Amino acid sequence: MALLGKGLLEGMAVTARNFIGSYFDNGRKERLVTYQYPEEKMPLPENSRTFPFLVFDENKDPVGTMRCVACKICETECPPQCIYIVMDRDEKGKPLQRPKVFDIDISVCMQCQICVEVCPFEAIKMDNDYEKSQYGRFNELVEHLPDLLRSNEYYHKVKPTEAAAVDAKLKAEKEKKAKKAAPATKPPVAPPAPKPAAAPAAKIAIPEDAPFTPEQCEWLGKFLSTVSVGGAAAPSGPSPAVGETTAQQPTTEAPAGDWPWHDPGLGLQQRMELAKDRTFSDKLMAAMAQTDCHACGYDCRGYADAIASGAEKDLSLCLPGEAETQRKLEELMKEAGKL
Amino acid sequence: MIQPLTDEKRHTLMPGPEGLIETQTLEVSIGPQHPSTHGVFRMDCVLDGETVVQLKPVMGYLHRNHEQLAEKMAWLGSMPYTDRLDYFNSMSNNWAYALAVEKLAGIKVPDRAEYIRVIMAELTRLLNHVCAIGFLLQDLGAWGTPLLYAFREREKILDLFEAASGSRMMCNYMRFGGVRVDLDEKMLATAREITALFPRFLDEFEKLLTENEVLLARCQRVGILPKELAINASISGPMARASGVEYDVRKVDKYGVYGRFDFRIPLGDVGDVYDRYYIRVLEMRESVRILQQALRDFPQGPHIAPEVKLRNFKVPAGDGYGRIEAPKGELGSFLVSDESGKTPYRYHVRPPSFINLTILEDMCLGHKVADVIIVLGSVDIVLGEVDR
Repeated sequence: MALLGKGLLEGMAVTARNFIGSYFDNGRKERLVTYQYPEEKMPLPENSRTFPFLVFDENKDPVGTMRCVACKICETECPPQCIYIVMDRDEKGKPLQRPKVFDIDISVCMQCQICVEVCPFEAIKMDNDYEKSQYGRFNELVEHLPDLLRSNEYYHKVKPTEAAAVDAKLKAEKEKKAKKAAPATKPPVAPPAPKPAAAPAAKIAIPEDAPFTPEQCEWLGKFLSTVSVGGAAAPSGPSPAVGETTAQQPTTEAPAGDWPWHDPGLGLQQRMELAKDRTFSDKLMAAMAQTDCHACGYDCRGYADAIASGAEKDLSLCLPGEAETQRKLEELMKEAGKL
Repeated sequence: MIQPLTDEKRHTLMPGPEGLIETQTLEVSIGPQHPSTHGVFRMDCVLDGETVVQLKPVMGYLHRNHEQLAEKMAWLGSMPYTDRLDYFNSMSNNWAYALAVEKLAGIKVPDRAEYIRVIMAELTRLLNHVCAIGFLLQDLGAWGTPLLYAFREREKILDLFEAASGSRMMCNYMRFGGVRVDLDEKMLATAREITALFPRFLDEFEKLLTENEVLLARCQRVGILPKELAINASISGPMARASGVEYDVRKVDKYGVYGRFDFRIPLGDVGDVYDRYYIRVLEMRESVRILQQALRDFPQGPHIAPEVKLRNFKVPAGDGYGRIEAPKGELGSFLVSDESGKTPYRYHVRPPSFINLTILEDMCLGHKVADVIIVLGSVDIVLGEVDR
């Protein structure tokens, strides 16, 4: 500090240089430019995110072709719990693979993108629309299913590279599934014998006026038919392994719906422990992820029954359960001598 | 109702025009809605004239239950909430939490991810220090100019953060075993550009401030924190180093890949507000050196450990403490896991702002009210982290 005031004058020179420099940049882009916002918008980077939306594939039928299957994984994982999902059902009460209600409270949503990361179906994606202001602060800020649905083209427009990668991934998955389905179509044609046998058994077992919903009737019929077929088949014995397993089953004690392991919050070990002394089908069910997400085309019960009865050969369909469930299913099938 | 700090008023005799006048102390509550308290923070001061004789920091206005909430959700669920601790430095906060979980679960982080983390954390340090100085000058009464220069530089870094993570401030960028999005060539070029231009800005910023007579008169010998007190009160970060305590978790722990970089720890000797200002400038220069080395040696490879699951992520029972050198000091994340392993059994954060705030009274006693404001400014607090 040789001369008092030198520092002050130097500082003023800096401010003067910055003031003048803000007009003459020489293309160095060192000075930032103010965007005149409502008229002029800042270009957003592709990764930029605001609130989630749901993707559908075809413009003709947004609800029918939406990718969401109402598996509720995002609802479970959402940290501030701003997602609310109700699965759609037909008039018979059979679950359809789509949400009836899908609400996101954007006043609660903190734009963390965890729903997008955990979704196994590439159904929920982040938007970059930030102009969401409303005149109210309660119902106006809850987005319902129609507000959330956006076409795949819109997704491509918002996030081109990410959307292209997702499309390629979905296409590959579809081809893989088609390839798997092609050889699998033959076996169901080949053994038509057990099916007619099961169907009359189901009809005999449940009278028309029984106090059950159609869904329960269907399930009970299936359940009783497998039991009766197993019991009848035991002496003649087409395959001794099946006969043994069915013989061990406690057949009637467990009422329908008494599945203590049917809780997505439990770990696989815990679920298997709970189903330790139950039927083979119950054990299979306990190996599933218990989200009833219908990613496999059934609910967890249905998929387990389908595998147990041999109608479903593919053990890799449980998406929420991932490799863990598949390994367990293979292990169980091996134990039962079916694989 | 606000409880009075003291029951008795101190009576002193002051010389007046017609002999001695009896005076009494005055209790002034600064905040919580006062702009100079950097958020919702209150200082209960007892003043004798304009001199501070007693000061009590009052916090808790921004308590959000961060630690308890974590016990009710999956491990990943707390990651976006850590952004909201110290909302200037969400990248560092992510790192502390991820480090604790990685220690607990025994996850090995790939090299590229470690380098990305270093780059992001050092850029965060740049933007935090530049803003801290800007706000300190704002508290000194230099309205606008230094803060706006600081924000201009911060904006360039935030643009890179938005390109990489999708959000400017609430980045939610790190994941267990790596980072969410890989840095592509364009982002790396931006990072190189920021690193190359930053020393020039620092020179200019220093020319504006370092030898400014007003700054020297206001900051030197004000709010001195002795070395012994800094150690005893477990002060960390630039505050401790300004008092001459050689402690930097980057050197002590060498977490991540910090052992590979060549950088120095600047130390102050007086421990006044001016030292705390100048330590931050010097630290930024060291951060630029780390950034240059990290960008030079940037390796290829995966940006996240491939074996780590997003859904149904579980950790074995045990506890883990991850600590990093956040821009404001040592930020620690302590996690306990039980047998279920689905959610933390207990979660605790060691927030640097909060612990650095505990010695506010010792630094302020004997100074004027206007000095209290700049002493608080030099501590560099963020209330999101103080109250959690």
